[in-house]
Amino acid sequence: MNTALTWADHRIVDREDGAVVYGVEDVSLFSLDREARDVLARWRLVEPLVVENTPEPDRSVLEDFRTARLLVPAGTTSRVPRVEPGTVPLSTLVLEVAQACNLRCTYCYADGGTYGGPTRLLSPETARRAARFLVDASGDLPEVTLVLFGGEPLLNLPAIRAAVDEAEARATDAGKTVRFSLTTNGTLLSRENVAFLREHRVSVSVSLDGPPAIHDANRPGPDGRGSYSRAVAGLALLLDGAPGPVAARVTLPPAQWDRVPEVFDHLAGLGVHEVGIAPASPTTPDLLPTPQQEDRLLAGFSEMARRFCAAARAGQVLPFSNLLDLLARIHVGATRVAPCGAGLGYLAADTEGRLFLCHRLVGNDGFHAGDVGQGARPDRIRTCLAALAAPRKETCTACWARSLCRGGCHYDNHQRENVLGLSPGGNCGFIRRWIQLGLEVYGDLQREETRWLLSRLGTRAAC
Amino acid sequence: MSNKKTIQALNEKAKAIEALADGETETVRALQDGPPGMPAGCTTVFDTGWETNPRPTYPVGNCQASARDFHGCAGDCWWPAQTPDGLTNHPDMDQQCPNVARDWRKMKYD
Repeated sequence: MNTALTWADHRIVDREDGAVVYGVEDVSLFSLDREARDVLARWRLVEPLVVENTPEPDRSVLEDFRTARLLVPAGTTSRVPRVEPGTVPLSTLVLEVAQACNLRCTYCYADGGTYGGPTRLLSPETARRAARFLVDASGDLPEVTLVLFGGEPLLNLPAIRAAVDEAEARATDAGKTVRFSLTTNGTLLSRENVAFLREHRVSVSVSLDGPPAIHDANRPGPDGRGSYSRAVAGLALLLDGAPGPVAARVTLPPAQWDRVPEVFDHLAGLGVHEVGIAPASPTTPDLLPTPQQEDRLLAGFSEMARRFCAAARAGQVLPFSNLLDLLARIHVGATRVAPCGAGLGYLAADTEGRLFLCHRLVGNDGFHAGDVGQGARPDRIRTCLAALAAPRKETCTACWARSLCRGGCHYDNHQRENVLGLSPGGNCGFIRRWIQLGLEVYGDLQREETRWLLSRLGTRAAC
Repeated sequence: MSNKKTIQALNEKAKAIEALADGETETVRALQDGPPGMPAGCTTVFDTGWETNPRPTYPVGNCQASARDFHGCAGDCWWPAQTPDGLTNHPDMDQQCPNVARDWRKMKYD
């Protein structure tokens, strides 16, 4: 069958002994030995290519490229499957337990925890309604997740207790299990509420930004005093006999992007089990990074990647969430159909029980999509997602990182494009460099002495 | 695949893609290049794909299975799925099995 073939969209990461090739459409990774790398170089620009008409030994290598679907029949096109809102069962609901906070973090996207408007707390009745909505909207899913969020959720223990109690009862009735997670600034943790969180197996992330100078500058209280010592005291209660992992969630504004390794080291030194570092969202123009700041962040992440590989060779996992999550996605090779689950299995409810696409878009009327009493509105979700995706359609189609990215954070994009008036794609360069780093690290981990880590990544991806 | 592996699957997706191709190159051939024509080979029993309808009637050039469905829709024996190949491998299918939905167990194919 002398089929005319073309090269599938791919990206080459050259290495000393050959190369790693990334199949853009499939999220597939293949290593090439030197011979295959040479064959690729010789034939890469020949299109259409009829393998049967090529001379040996190149021909059998080209057959291998065909098997790997890096050579595909000419005219092969691929379409991203469309996921229709309303057809995806709800798996995660983020509950704004308190639209209030006892801190005033400098980079807060939620306007001091309130998401705009006055301070308010979720009532226990609405908490129960929201918990029932989650279980009832979860279709055939055997497991659902309720995220207790804010503001600072521990400001409203009655609603937390009501939500947890109702979700457990409703899930038991429906033959499902419910998992809880909570993100806190740590300052209000006490022996009592830690005992409650353990009793209900709530997994906890504590927002911590690193050494006292950085943390206190970023996360002061209303009086301007830093919150480091109170947060770390709360963390100690959580870590004391912790039944499960405790994660630290770091947010850094661009001015601190050169401090990634020291932030990580400090938090790992405090005994947290995992550290995730998020660049602050550009809620205001002064939080927009310069290219130099992006370079520094990448340099910090690269340094973490180098240390991750060194730790892996010594039989250890460096608990840097960002890289672990990226590597897990690369390991499985699942292609995304949307950048995240917002509106597609994932929703957030505010203190009034109004539903929004995601926790970050809470309070923004443009992304209001139903309420916990009457359910989500697929028509609204569809309109919102289409509007969010529209400005990136063409650039995403041509981008090699598309199958792992699908457009980036809705909130960040909305903020950059609709609020700050920037042109689309401002974050793309950074995302591509980060994914490229992940591909390089994954290629590196293929050595004999680090291969044990790969199956662990598979386990993580399944979580 | 060549005997000497010059290309190695690294991640799980790549392994899945290689597994898809296992044996493919030995057993499956595209039988038809260019415009629709006559069948040029045999097919597995439940393969809906390769052989074309040899009758000079509608739907010209469609695969046998879809041609069967097309005509089957006219009667009371419509089978909205892949059907046994009644032209080559199971010519007596309609006798064994006048109503596919009811009588499919009587068909003695593997």
